[in-house]
Parts: sequence; C-alpha cells; structure tokens
Amino acid sequence: MHEQFVLKKDHLLPLLRRLAREHRLVAPVRNGYGDTMYTVVTDVDACRLDLERQPQNSLKPFFFPQRERLCSYTVDRQGEEGMAYRFYPDLPEERATVYFGVRSCDMFGVMYCDLVFLQGEHRDIFYQRRREKALFLTLACNRPFTDCFCHNTRTGPALELGFDLQLHDLGDRFYVETGKPGGVSLTAHWSPFFAPAGDDDRQAQFQNVLEARSLFQRQVHVDLAVRLLARHEPEEVFGRLSRRCQDCGGCAFICPTCTCFNIVDQPLDQGRGERLRTWDACTFAGFTRMAGDHNPVDLAAARIKKRFLHKLKHDVAKHGRPSCVGCGRCVGMCFGGVDMASFVALLCEWDGGKEGWR
Amino acid sequence: MRGDGRHPQAGVVRGTNPYLPLPARIHKVVEENALVKSFVLELEDPLAAQAFTYQPGQFVMVSVPHCGEAPISFASPPHQANGFTLTVRKAGRLTGAMHGLRPGDTVGIRGPYGRPFPMHALQGRDLLFVAGGIGLAPLRSVILSVLAHRADYGRIIVLYGCRTPGDICFRADLAVWQEIEGVEVGCTVDKGDAGWQGKVGLVTSLLDTVVFAPERTTALVCGPEIMIKVVLERLEGMGVAPADLLTTLERHMKCGIGLCGHCHCSDKLVCADGPVFSLAELGGIASGCL
Ligand SMILES: Cc1cc2nc3c(=O)[nH]c(=O)nc-3n(C[C@H](O)[C@H](O)[C@H](O)COP(=O)(O)OP(=O)(O)OC[C@H]3O[C@@H](n4cnc5c(N)ncnc54)[C@H](O)[C@@H]3O)c2cc1C
Ligand code: FES
Repeated sequence: MHEQFVLKKDHLLPLLRRLAREHRLVAPVRNGYGDTMYTVVTDVDACRLDLERQPQNSLKPFFFPQRERLCSYTVDRQGEEGMAYRFYPDLPEERATVYFGVRSCDMFGVMYCDLVFLQGEHRDIFYQRRREKALFLTLACNRPFTDCFCHNTRTGPALELGFDLQLHDLGDRFYVETGKPGGVSLTAHWSPFFAPAGDDDRQAQFQNVLEARSLFQRQVHVDLAVRLLARHEPEEVFGRLSRRCQDCGGCAFICPTCTCFNIVDQPLDQGRGERLRTWDACTFAGFTRMAGDHNPVDLAAARIKKRFLHKLKHDVAKHGRPSCVGCGRCVGMCFGGVDMASFVALLCEWDGGKEGWR
Repeated sequence: MRGDGRHPQAGVVRGTNPYLPLPARIHKVVEENALVKSFVLELEDPLAAQAFTYQPGQFVMVSVPHCGEAPISFASPPHQANGFTLTVRKAGRLTGAMHGLRPGDTVGIRGPYGRPFPMHALQGRDLLFVAGGIGLAPLRSVILSVLAHRADYGRIIVLYGCRTPGDICFRADLAVWQEIEGVEVGCTVDKGDAGWQGKVGLVTSLLDTVVFAPERTTALVCGPEIMIKVVLERLEGMGVAPADLLTTLERHMKCGIGLCGHCHCSDKLVCADGPVFSLAELGGIASGCL
C-alpha cells in the first residue's frame, strides 16, 4: 500500500543531515564551476544542493564506474614447477547509500542497468554490490528541461514505480509518496519529518504532474521510430548521421543506459598487474575489431546503426521497451547532432517521404 | 536449432565473481604446425577441476600474463580424462605469448561459456563436418564425442580444408578417423607444396565429391567467416534445411558472459546466444551476421 506524506521544505536539510549520518548520501550539487552533478555529499551544510537544474551526469557512474579494478594478478616465473599466475579478487564494499533528488529518467536508467547486470544468466557482482543497499529518493520534474523528452519515452516527468520515495515540489513543501519497502521504512523511522498528506496536497501534486506534462518543448516520436525500425533499417539515415559522428563516445558515456565496457590488463611491473574495466562505446572504430584486423562492423554507418537499433529495436525485442529514457543528455553532448532526438526526427522525415527523403 | 533449445550451462558457479579467472596448469603442449599449438590444461584447484564440465562448442576465456583474455574453444571432448585441450593459433599478442608457454606454466581460465552444439539433437542424424584451418578445433570436440558413442549417430563425413599443407592441424586424429568404418574423411589445400600428394582446391570442391542425404544430414561448419558463408550457402542449395546447418561464429569478446556488448551481431550476443547458431537462427545468409 502506497502512503502519501508531506515534508516541509524547512525540514529537508535536517532530514538529509540525519540520513547522511547513517548512509552515504548522493545528491545533485552545484560545484565551484557552476556545474550541477550528482555528487557524494560529505557535509550537507557545506555544499550547494541544486534541485533546480538537471544534473549533467546520470547515476550510472555510481553503480558502474568509468574505470574500476576487476582483479589484480601476480606472475611468478621463479617457481619450481613453472610460471605461476594468480588472481586476487577486488570487490567493492557494500555501502548503504541514499540517492536523493534523482530525476525520473535517471531512476529508469538504473532500472534498465538492473536488467543488464542483474537479470541475465550471469550477474555482475560489482554492480550488484553497489546496487544492493541503495535507496532512491526521486524528485518528479515540475518543469522539463530544454532537451528532455521523457513524456515520449514514458519515463517521466513523474514515476509510478521504481523509487523508494518520490518527492513532488509543492512550493513550500514536498509531497512524498512511498514506493518500495525501503521508502516505507524510511518514513516510519523518521516519522516526525513526515506529516500525512491531505486532499489539498494530493490535488496540488496532481495539478503539478498535469502541468509538467504540458510544458515539454520537444516532441521526439520514439514510439513511431520503434514501429518504423521494425519494418525498415534505412541505410540512408544511418549514413547521413554517421558522416557527422566524430567517434568521441560522448553519447554513450553520458547515456544512463549505455553499459558496454572494455576489459584491459594494466601491468604494474613484471610480476604484478591489474585487470581494469572501462566504459566503452559501440561507435568506436575498434569496438568489434578482431585478430588480424578483421572487423565485422567496419563502417561508421554500421556502428551508428548498431547504436540506434540497440536502443530502439533490439532492446524492445528483449525487454519490451526501448532503452532510451528521454533525458536528452546526448542532445546536449553531441556537437555533430548525432543524438536520439535528431535520429528520430530524421527517421520520421525519411518515412514521411514514403521511404525516401521528402 | 533442433531439439531442446538452450542447454543449461554446465559448470557455471552462480553468485560468485564471474570475472575472476582460475589458475590452470599446462600439462602438455603439442605442436600442430608452425602456427598452431594444442595445450592440455587442468585447473589447479582439485575441487574446481573435478567440478569443471563443458560441452562441445563452448569456450573459455583464457588469461595470459599482462595480455588480457581471449576466447578459445574446447578442442577436446567432455569425456577426455586429465583436463581439457585448447588449440591455439598464433594470431597476435595474447596467442603469441601463449605459444611461449611450456608445461608447468599457468594460465587463467574463466568459463565454460556459450551455448554448445545441440548434441542430443544430433543423435540419429548423419553428420557432415566442414572445417577450415583452426576451425577444426571446436569440431574435433564434437567428432570425438560422437565417435565415443558411435552407435547413436549415422554416417560421419569430415571435410577439411587448409590454405597450405603446413596449416593442417590434428594430423594424427585425421589419420585415425579415416580408418574408422562409416567415417569418411576428405582433405584439401588451397595451395600445395612439393611434398603434398592430396587434393588441391577450396573446401567447397570436396562437397562435390561426397554423397549424402540432405534430409538426414546435419552439417557442422567452422572456419573463417567467408568460408562459413560459402559452405552454408552451398549446403542450403543442396537441400539441407537451415535448422540443420550449424556453425560457430567468431567475434571480438571481452566478458564472454553477455554483458560487455562487444560480441554483438545484429540483435544477438555471440558469447551468450551462441557461439553456436543454426542458419535458421541467424535468419539466413543475408541476415548480416555472416
Ligand atoms: C567463441 C570463440 C572461440 C574461439 N576459439 C578459438 C580457438 O579454439 N583457437 C584459436 O586459435 N582461436 C580461437 N578464437 C579466436 C581467438 O580468440 C583470437 O584469435 C584471439 O582473441 C586473438 O588474440 P590476440 O591477442 O592473440 O590477437 P591480437 O591481434 O593481438 O588482438 C586481437 C584482440 O585484441 C583486441 N583488439 C585488437 N585491436 C583492437 C582495437 N583496436 N580496440 C580494442 N581491442 C582490440 C581484440 O580483443 C582482439 O580480439 C576464438 C574466438 C571466439 C570468439
Ligand atoms: S563478450 Fe561481452 S557480451 Fe559477449
């Protein structure tokens, strides 16, 4: 049973201070350069919490860091029997973490990563460790940001599931909904902060969500694109976009649902080394290169195609929904305009010309 | 693919760290030719070694110091006593370093991974094996398994093509198989040399020399991608059903367990959905996976 509460804005910092004592706290913080990022907060009073702007990063790096050690190894060539080669596990510690101020799209990003890393035949223990004791206090968006299109991907501006607590900004107070059991216990444990919501609060929350839905500046016809791609894979569209791709990987790195990675050995000296995993991008030329320089996905157009088909076709087949969460970050990131919004627009334009350009 | 679809992955320990290799000691190194060596390996931990089982068509991720990992297929049949065999062609950094290893040295092993050949569905069928070069390695695992239960299968034809006589692997096996009743072995090279007295020509030319009943036959094809493509096309033309045309695909692999995304081909991940596929599963020759 979902419960609804009201949390006074004046009580937010005191609550976060208390939560930060028992948990690691991650929240959107504006840093000295003026950038807002989800950040580990060590001192609630010393940082500048920013619930006004869209964080530039998603939560992905907190569960799946850009670079992490999978294991270390030693090589001993002096042994009697022969060269001895040993591996030492290096698992991240499990830390109870409260993620506060998480946007709906970013919550969906985490849910998608769960599918990849936790629901397959092989579980990713590194991801699992970081994910296990996480609580999500999400914040519904009252006003979409310029590049957002979560209304088209049905991942926002407010959530129906996935969160522990969902907050809605009602001006002087937050309307708080409980979701998963973690949120229920949190409101029970800190009950003095949470007053039962009344009908006027419910009404205001409802109005807020309705209004937010009407404020989107972009229409990105993701559903239409999914339907079109089920029928055709228009090479002209991929070709046109690929000519503008600089192969920088920015779109994949910034994307909350891009999970491809590389694994490399980093020798420390003759006898020791580390095995690292780093983010990778399917748009990189070397992504599929094999021994002898044979590359089955050789052309830039084929790589761009892979990226968009993965999000809008293969994931639909596999998980029942596209894996774009409409956060719009790739729109802001790519200076070549090889982003989801442009792709969908180009595809629809191509189809509008009845399978050719208008 | 015929029969029971996805096989359970024997030997995968769940809830553990899938990225942590286990040390395996090299017991024996056999030089197949100038570029190919076979390594007989056994996991060092006796309990792990005992629990280690696999099926033909599966592979392991092999670690060599400072070189990362590479996917290598089992060349031995699951019933082989004393460890398992990996046959490795010197193709670059890791495989080159592995060629420098000697008995007693250790490598790292993760696996077994991937979907194997549907051994159960092969029972009662005539089997046509078509291999190119090092591609005979994974098929050897099947052939030796089949020969160990000879009565369960129909006729066996092994067609093997290599670039030159110096590229031929498993010469001793080929000689033995040739002598077995109901087994037919054909071998050809693209380019002969002074000592070569066998056939010269592409492996497809051997297809003209054998007689088989397409409806009773399952073909298992492994080799360079272009060879796979040409052979599958030919066999489909000769009337073998796409569901009975099996191959194993090669892709760049990093994790081997369906997570890193490197081995994609269309909507499939070769490491987890394959590496064994039927032509029907690949969606035909024109699907873009070949
Ligand atoms: C399922 C499967 C089974 C296999 N079985 C066998 C077998 O039984 N026997 C056998 O000999 N071979 C087998 N192979 C092939 C074998 O894995 C490759 O030959 C081996 O990976 C080559 O590694 P290398 O380091 O020696 O070659 P290199 O040429 O030094 O490196 C090739 C590898 O390096 C990486 N790489 C190269 N260039 C780039 C780049 N630009 N960016 C990022 N990464 C790059 C890739 O991982 C690539 O595979 C199999 C492959 C697969 C997929
Ligand atoms: S090798 Fe990583 S997904 Fe296949």
